Amino acid sequence: MARAGNRKTIRTASAPGPSKLQRWLDVLAALLSHRYPITLDRLRREVPAYQRTGNEATFNRMFERDKDEMRAFGIPIETVQSGDPPEAAYQLRAADFYLPFMELSAVGGSARRSAARRAPFTSLQTLTFSPDELSLIAQAAARVRALGDPLLAADADSALRKLAFDLPVDALARDAERDERVVADQSPASRAIFALLGQALLAHKRVSFTYHAMGADSVREREVEPYGLVFLGSHWYVAAAERGDDVVRNFRLNRMSNVAMNHAKMRTPDFVVPDDFRLAEHARSRQAWELGDQEVEEILVEVRAPTGAATAAAQLGEPVAGHPERRCFRVRRADTFARWLLGFAGDLVPVAPPDIVRKYRELALETLRQYEEGA
Amino acid sequence: MTQDAAQQLRRLLHLIPMLADGEAHSLHEVAELTGEDADDVLKDMRSLSLRYGDPGGFVPDLEIYLEATQVSMRTSHFTRPMRLTAPELCALQLGLAMLRQEQVPEEQDTADAARQRLSAALAKLPAEAPMAAPADRVRHLDFAASGDRSQLAALRRGVRERRKLRVTYRRADAVESTTRVICPYGLVASRGAWYVVAHCDDRNAIRIFRLDRVEQSELLDARFEVPASFSLDDIVHDGKVIDVDEPTTLRVRYSPRVARWIAEREHMALDADGSLTLDHPLADTAWAVRHVLQYGADAEVLEPERTRREVERRLRDIVAS
Repeated sequence: MARAGNRKTIRTASAPGPSKLQRWLDVLAALLSHRYPITLDRLRREVPAYQRTGNEATFNRMFERDKDEMRAFGIPIETVQSGDPPEAAYQLRAADFYLPFMELSAVGGSARRSAARRAPFTSLQTLTFSPDELSLIAQAAARVRALGDPLLAADADSALRKLAFDLPVDALARDAERDERVVADQSPASRAIFALLGQALLAHKRVSFTYHAMGADSVREREVEPYGLVFLGSHWYVAAAERGDDVVRNFRLNRMSNVAMNHAKMRTPDFVVPDDFRLAEHARSRQAWELGDQEVEEILVEVRAPTGAATAAAQLGEPVAGHPERRCFRVRRADTFARWLLGFAGDLVPVAPPDIVRKYRELALETLRQYEEGA
Repeated sequence: MTQDAAQQLRRLLHLIPMLADGEAHSLHEVAELTGEDADDVLKDMRSLSLRYGDPGGFVPDLEIYLEATQVSMRTSHFTRPMRLTAPELCALQLGLAMLRQEQVPEEQDTADAARQRLSAALAKLPAEAPMAAPADRVRHLDFAASGDRSQLAALRRGVRERRKLRVTYRRADAVESTTRVICPYGLVASRGAWYVVAHCDDRNAIRIFRLDRVEQSELLDARFEVPASFSLDDIVHDGKVIDVDEPTTLRVRYSPRVARWIAEREHMALDADGSLTLDHPLADTAWAVRHVLQYGADAEVLEPERTRREVERRLRDIVAS
């Protein structure tokens, strides 16, 4: 049995040191409590976990890692040269760290929090939002929450909570969710896939996965360079070029499995996104008949019955001078276009060129035969 | 930074300003506001304060009052939230950019101003810190929905202000438009289309109007109230926007050439031969005809017989024309 005198020593030695979280909070509190940059020596004296480090090299490594990680989190720790002779010192300005005061223009300049709460933060500016701007921000948060990316949703929630400290944005977000509903993917990709792709996008690292290509009904391994994440229609896609290929394709997230990122040399990008690549342009929504590499063909379509469905669809084509009942469509996949037209059940029909007219009629005949045979 | 520690730091930088306002807060409410459960809130309190034998760091300045159902805090540190981080700003800006695509030009100034205002709340990283790629370089959001943005703007305003609208609408299968007064209860975006769910005063019933078939809309001064029993959840079923009236069933067989796409969308398993037979709720024969014909001979109506006959009739007309 240990003697009483040793018990304290044993207990102290086995007790855990401050956690990483406590260390960060201590670093932040120390930096924020000074209006001027502080040296590493000073910081070490004020942060208990740094005092526990055995030697300077260990402390320096620990601080450098903490600084980088906190910056990655978004904390603006600044390195400056201070003193004579100059040495590295560190600063975290309250105005760069704390949220500015926020108010609604219609409320006459009074924020939700009392003036007394403002006292310690004299250096903070005030941002004034109009009610319409705030309402739109609440709608924006509600919108991204509904799209099925759990990380994006968590970031929107977190942002909204910060704004709600001063502004009535939480109630507006509830109204937005009550009034508008977004039907996103019914079987969304997992949080892990979103997290991994998000990380790969930022670090420009290659990603490998097993992909089910629906067109060919084939499953095979892919290794791609991810350029961006796109929510289009109701689904999430990663826009990516396969290794050794310049063509950027969309891969649907919920058709991917066994997703892995190249972890080798994480600080070195695996690829460079071409300067002229524009994600929004790449992701521009298109009809299925507009996709592909085939030559564009101009097809004339006539509105035979201006039903609601046909009239709305006709808007996708361009007007034809002298023929108000006709529209011109620019098509890459004629077969797909013929099927799309057949969906309007004769209310929209192709009139030129002859090849598409023939394809359309053959498709209608083939479909009709099915009903005649089944009768 | 480990994800756990980052998440905990994020939570605590939310929690402290909320709790250190001189008032006691219900633990349940705090948990709700932070999006955590009450146990996590208590764990965070413990992580914050537990120091064993070490010097206290910023903790000597911290007082936590924990009662059975309430919690409060006193501290002079972190009593305001942190500025927005780049991912938080990115999330809101992506949402704003998506809304902007749906707006008419005169509304877009508000979205631009909101984006600008939010940017001023971003944590200002020093020049030597690595910069994340701009939000719109790595993410893009688009409903790809058709329809006139000015009509959407009017409908959205009607929903928000609980004001009636007079709309000119052309049904999918009608060649003439009709004008009616509606009380817009809500909007739904689904599969490339916007729908307004409304009480139609003329029909005295809930009706669903597809935005790209709304030809004109006029915002009226008359107001309405949404019945407490109404919820958009009653209109959206398995991702489809369906009228509240009792639908019948449309049974369709999809050939192996197209069945896998349908099976994926509907979360169904294929039949042994690779085809798929699926029952859809059917409220509108014209919709059923359009739906199956877009697949040509790769989709066949099995039931009801009247819909089958209607598809056949339309095909005969096409072939004869």
